[in-house]
Amino acid sequence: MTLMQVQINTEYKITRVTGDGNARRRLLDMGFTPETEIYVSGVAPFGGTVLVSLRESFIALREDAASLIEVERI
Amino acid sequence: MSGREYRIELAGNPNVGKTSLYNRLTGSFEHVGNWHGVTVERVEKKIAFDGDGIVLADLPGLYSLTVYSPEESISRDSILNDKTDLIINVCEVNNLSRNLYLTLQLLEIGAPVLLAVNMIDELKKRGKKLDAEKLENRLRIPIVPVSAKYKADAKRLVEESARYIKSGKKRKTELTYLNKLPVKEFVSIIGRNAEAAGLKHEYAAIKLMENDAYVTDLLKLSDAQVKEIGKYGDLQPVVAAARFKFIDEIMRDVIVADNSLKRIAEKSGKAGFRGGIAIDKAVLNKYAAIPIFLLVMAAVFAITFGLVGKYLSELFGLFIEKCLYDPISNSLASVSCPAWITGILCDGVILGVGGILAFLPQIVLLFFFLALLEDSGYISRVAFMTDGFFRKIGLSGRSVFTMLMGFGCSATAVLTARGLEDEKMRKKTVLLTPFMSCSARLPVYSVIASAFFAKGQPFIIFGMYILGAAVAIMLAVLFEKCFKKLKSGKLSFIMEMPPYRFPTFERIWQIIWNNVKIFLVRVGTVIFALNVIVYVLSNFSFAHGYVVGTDYKSIFEYVGEFFAPVFAPLGFGNWRAVTSLLSGLVAKEVVISSIESLGGVSAIFTGDYAALSALAFMVFTLLYVPCVATLAAIRKEAGRKWMLFSLCLQLSVAYLCSLVFYWIGRLILSNMGLGIGLALLIPVIVFCVCVLASAAKKKSLCGCKCAGCTRGCPNKNKNGGELRK
Repeated sequence: MTLMQVQINTEYKITRVTGDGNARRRLLDMGFTPETEIYVSGVAPFGGTVLVSLRESFIALREDAASLIEVERI
Repeated sequence: MSGREYRIELAGNPNVGKTSLYNRLTGSFEHVGNWHGVTVERVEKKIAFDGDGIVLADLPGLYSLTVYSPEESISRDSILNDKTDLIINVCEVNNLSRNLYLTLQLLEIGAPVLLAVNMIDELKKRGKKLDAEKLENRLRIPIVPVSAKYKADAKRLVEESARYIKSGKKRKTELTYLNKLPVKEFVSIIGRNAEAAGLKHEYAAIKLMENDAYVTDLLKLSDAQVKEIGKYGDLQPVVAAARFKFIDEIMRDVIVADNSLKRIAEKSGKAGFRGGIAIDKAVLNKYAAIPIFLLVMAAVFAITFGLVGKYLSELFGLFIEKCLYDPISNSLASVSCPAWITGILCDGVILGVGGILAFLPQIVLLFFFLALLEDSGYISRVAFMTDGFFRKIGLSGRSVFTMLMGFGCSATAVLTARGLEDEKMRKKTVLLTPFMSCSARLPVYSVIASAFFAKGQPFIIFGMYILGAAVAIMLAVLFEKCFKKLKSGKLSFIMEMPPYRFPTFERIWQIIWNNVKIFLVRVGTVIFALNVIVYVLSNFSFAHGYVVGTDYKSIFEYVGEFFAPVFAPLGFGNWRAVTSLLSGLVAKEVVISSIESLGGVSAIFTGDYAALSALAFMVFTLLYVPCVATLAAIRKEAGRKWMLFSLCLQLSVAYLCSLVFYWIGRLILSNMGLGIGLALLIPVIVFCVCVLASAAKKKSLCGCKCAGCTRGCPNKNKNGGELRK
């Protein structure tokens, strides 16, 4: 499942980051590497944007970037 | 000064406090804020140290040497061009492991690096400490724990840096993870290309593994080379994961609990990361977020323009009138000074300039709240929660930064748009920001509204701010739907949320002082001079000298009357109004000071519909060109063509909107029933048309929600690879 299908206030583990080009590179640079644990903190009121915390920081992601991140529940 | 001159650069992730440190070290007042991408330009300053000169440069923040936006490429180019003696890599202790990612890349290219671990005091509050020695032994570069809040820390940082440069030691960090990557193989394949492109071999090899567009372009690889590299497969996540794994090893036991600090930690309670989550749960609640935001903004405006600011400003204005205007004009009259000199001094200078100066308390309050929102970290949450809405109109939550800053000063806000990654979105944000009502426009509404709408003044002012924002949003929709050149389509949005911080008095004061200084300088120079010029031109004629009390026309009367017919349909087609609008092109405050020196609002807006034409005038002032400085900023960010476009856009939007306001007002005043009926009917019709239009669009396409999407349907192509190229 991707980050778009997650529940808030839940912890997940990243399994894979798909896609190519800039968006994927930025995700990897920001620490969304496989095996990293993330916590889903919230979803924007109009939907489509999700707030996660990883490595002690908060990062907001839009649908397109979030859908590149595959996660599994831990 | 004899000594040498050293060049030191401050580099690091966004929002780690580089500029705070820079200000501390150089005694500057560069703008800082608790969000990402405040610094958009390289700034440098020379400081003296121990008989040597140090040129210290502050770079915009970046996550990686692979860049995404123009301001990041400024940093990358500066780092890569190799002219610095030392890079102070500023890291934030709360986020150290992520920050070290950039550090590793700096070490990969062999740059001389010193690690400044900032915000060390925040760690103490959490009852932990940093084992700098351990970190230093593993990374083998000097580590200096600092807190930009303290002067002593900044001084120590410079001392350590100077000592490190002078020692001339080249410490070699063993980046063991590189051995696991096929660096040597890549170098053997692309070595010659790297040579030709003037890049370091290893750097080029690693960047190629990371699929870096900039380096790949420079290398100009042949098809055979591409094929050979392709054999190694997708190395991008491997490189990132290898770096992070290395960092995790380095970071093991580096940040440890400190028992002696336990009591402090208990005292500050849940503050810090977990505390942030708790606040976010409330503030970012799906249903409460937007109401909370609107409440916050309403409170800010109510205090600034209604409850507190208004009385302070009135008091200040009264002081100027009673203590400056009255005594001076009386004493000048008692010595029978010629009327024209009294006119220039009292009406031109004191009333005109003083009338603007009276707004100082409100401007201070406005910037106080903007600083508070910015520094606490709330503004980033606003960007996040409004993103869902803004993405629908082709903007992103990050545009909200720029637009909220527009409430302060349009010209400086336009410059902050550089942090936006997408070019079209950047242009759009730059075009829309001037419609947000800047602090210079406030005096105009305030004076006119208090003259014509005494009781409703705060509501009229608030209404102007809402109108500006509404116009900006409607234009964004228009650009997105009808203007191909500005259609941004689907964009990605990856933004880091800064932690909540308790705003410090010093930083808030700094933001207020910076802006108040700009305001005071403007009042003292441009506005002062313009007031005298406007007064002279509007009270003298070439042939007859001073014209007050005579039938002769002044110079501005001729010019104003020439343009006046254009504004007649808006209800203020008289030369005085036109003159003040013209002089407002230089600085918006001058609109009201011109009005004051031309006889006051009551002399300008006359007739049966005086209040209505005053309202139309306010609308026009809100929407037309903010000032030449903003135009210059737009030109800098988007180019001359877009500046001209923006100029035409602002003028035509201002004209149209005031026209609509004036005539709807006339209609309501002359025929109450019909007016109200129409006012109710029009939104209903617009709503129906919109619903029908969107329904028609949905049917025509592939069934999924991709109306107006030009890049293929995301449902068909799940990997999203076509986005953001």
